[in-house]
Amino acid sequence: MDLAKYRNLFLEEATEHLAEISRALLELEKDPSRSEAIDLVFRMAHSIKGMAGSLDYASITELAHALEDRMDGYRAAGRVDAADGLPALFRGLEGLEKQVASVRDTGEPGAPDPGLLALLRGAAGPGGREPAENRPKKAPRRP
Amino acid sequence: MTRVLIADDASFMRQMIRDIIDSEGYEVVGEATDGVEVVEKFKELHPDVIMMDIVMPKRSGIDAVKAIMEIAPKATVVMCSALGQETLVMEAIQAGAKDFIVKPFKPESVLTTLKKVLEKGV
Repeated sequence: MDLAKYRNLFLEEATEHLAEISRALLELEKDPSRSEAIDLVFRMAHSIKGMAGSLDYASITELAHALEDRMDGYRAAGRVDAADGLPALFRGLEGLEKQVASVRDTGEPGAPDPGLLALLRGAAGPGGREPAENRPKKAPRRP
Repeated sequence: MTRVLIADDASFMRQMIRDIIDSEGYEVVGEATDGVEVVEKFKELHPDVIMMDIVMPKRSGIDAVKAIMEIAPKATVVMCSALGQETLVMEAIQAGAKDFIVKPFKPESVLTTLKKVLEKGV
């Protein structure tokens, strides 16, 4: 695998995704039930998780996964918890921005932030959906 | 030569799949970036296999599988999923997808899955 090529692709696409997440969170500040914005943050986090996983950037994968799971809970609930949820989402975004910047500057994403992960995993929003890692895992049967 | 359509909203992932399968002589006939475009490109290009992400904008991968199955019930769709998406993968298989691969992709896993679905003649 041409790591340099994929790292550049990752940096370009992750930076765009983070800008989209930022715009969507600002929309959710105005209207916490804006489903397009909730979906968008979920998809962007999912996409960053997939790219980071392919490059073995474990700390980015973990943080993006926590953000994705949190958004999955909000998708089920139909709205973001503006009081506690939004600040946690903004902190998640900030954490991802720092990690992506670290990849750009040093080639590595840096260490995970357990406090931030705990914050994002702390509650799944008003829908009360458990984060995926707490739900029972069942591998799909191949046809 | 087997003709493949790749559907994923992330250009990173489309490039990675393309690089993996190009090296084994598959022909990538097109790429789609959302669940609406993949159905349109399927109708236009008639690929032998579609490699499709589950989470996509405009229309989810599962809805896109359902639409493709209505057009061509024997179409061969391989879902590209991620850890934690087991329920969605099962839904896609029930909708007609033939198999799945899990991100992060291992090249051998992508190629083995492609070979398997093609050998089944589905």
